[in-house]
Amino acid sequence: MAKMGMVFDLKACIGCNACVVACKQENSLPDGVFFTRTLSYEHGTYPNTRRTYIPTICNQCEDAPCEKVCPSGATFTREDGIVMVDRDKCIGCSSCAVACPYDMRTMLDKDMFEKGLFGTGELTPFEKQGYERFTPGTSVKCDFCSQRVDAGLDPACVSTCPTNARIFGDLDDPNSAPSKLIRDRDGRQPLPEKGTKPKVYYVD
Amino acid sequence: MTNTGNNRLVGNSFKLGYRFQRYWDTSMAIAFFSAEVGTGLFLVSYFCNYVLGMALGLALTATLKPYFHLAHMGVPQKSWRAILRPDRSWISRGAFAVAVLVGFGVLHVIDRATGLGAALGLSQGVIDLVGYLAVAGALVVMCYQGLAMSHSESLTLWASPLLPVSSFCYALTAGALLTLVVGWGALEPRRLAGLVNLAVLMLILDTLVVFGILLSARRKSKGGAFSAEMLLQGEYSSPFRNLVLLLGLAAPVVLMALGAGSYPMVILATLAMLVGFFAFRVLLFKAAVFEPITHDLAGSIGLPSAR
Ligand code: SF4
Ligand code: SF4
Repeated sequence: MAKMGMVFDLKACIGCNACVVACKQENSLPDGVFFTRTLSYEHGTYPNTRRTYIPTICNQCEDAPCEKVCPSGATFTREDGIVMVDRDKCIGCSSCAVACPYDMRTMLDKDMFEKGLFGTGELTPFEKQGYERFTPGTSVKCDFCSQRVDAGLDPACVSTCPTNARIFGDLDDPNSAPSKLIRDRDGRQPLPEKGTKPKVYYVD
Repeated sequence: MTNTGNNRLVGNSFKLGYRFQRYWDTSMAIAFFSAEVGTGLFLVSYFCNYVLGMALGLALTATLKPYFHLAHMGVPQKSWRAILRPDRSWISRGAFAVAVLVGFGVLHVIDRATGLGAALGLSQGVIDLVGYLAVAGALVVMCYQGLAMSHSESLTLWASPLLPVSSFCYALTAGALLTLVVGWGALEPRRLAGLVNLAVLMLILDTLVVFGILLSARRKSKGGAFSAEMLLQGEYSSPFRNLVLLLGLAAPVVLMALGAGSYPMVILATLAMLVGFFAFRVLLFKAAVFEPITHDLAGSIGLPSAR
């Protein structure tokens, strides 16, 4: 059985945020909603300082706390390991948002849809068609662009990344690109102590 | 032409740093508060065999709690789904416990007020069982909200076994004080004196538990320490000190010590405690910070940790 996952190459990420924009466009995300973020982290002491860009995304946890707390069964894991939200079942209790140790959930406000991306109260044709996929009041998160995965494509952020800092594939296949990277470059999961078994790894 | 000039894009959310818990707000705080206060009043009145107190406690829990919970939900018309998964979610378990408490509690109150059980020819065992089931429901309701919060590993301030203890203690304190207020003149003096002692003891326990929560958060992680600092010295220190500690915990003890025999003093002590308790509920929500985007994320993926 497939176990879809992603690897972030910290050496390759240049913080251009092309992935963020691609995600916003692919998923028609309203103002203030991001399924992926590229954080900037400054470390070291002068004169030996560095800035590292850390891409973040829903880790599609194998032991997902957001799924465990969901009282309505709206959050579920597909056969290929992608953690999904069924908007018809979601009651908007926000328990998942509180439970996610990575703060990767967003609750959709009515406001976001009324104001529009440009805050004018007028929706562009792009927004009008895109917002149909959302129900105000419910919880949303990254699902690795499941609509693209189903069509045999990579998630939009992966296809767009100009430096190949995002590598996507089946972690159950030892010969897949992410599996090899994890093996060869000692892939690390974010906050392993939380016991969530993320399917997202980082290499540097 | 669309104007993008004033559009806030991302604020500082792309920087590695703390992000505040913003999903649970005042409406959730009122839902938690009313359930704990109402259930505390029911439980203490149950042991005092005081029907009016039990009825008021049930009414508080059965009305304000669901109303404010529904007000918080994004899609309230589907909230019935929340009861279906008691095996997995504390929200479901809580909803189930409230149903048990209110269902059996109402039956118990009706029986105590009218003698319905005996009139229907039910055995004393069955009549008592109804009361015990209501008490069992009440005990779960008094703790479960703290349990739901303590399950949130991502928020160190909440992720403490002391959270359900604080829920229970605060609920019992409010119950003892409110039973005193409602039952003044109706309950025996010996019973009233017992309630005064219980209230004072619980206020002292509440204080210890509140500091226990802060101390354990401080020790557990940098984010926890950040939350505790916000309450003790930072942004929320003045409402925390003035409302939670002085008005809500210290003032009622002093008022009870000075004039436990005086009804106005008891009313004042109760009001002060309730204001402090509500402030505690709100501040506990406000001071929680998510730590995913903090230093240990960097440390966990092989970057230098800032811890
Ligand atoms: S990262 Fe958060 S939202 Fe994503 S699966 Fe894990 S717990 Fe759920
Ligand atoms: S907000 Fe929706 S997806 Fe999240 S826990 Fe509640 S019902 Fe489940």
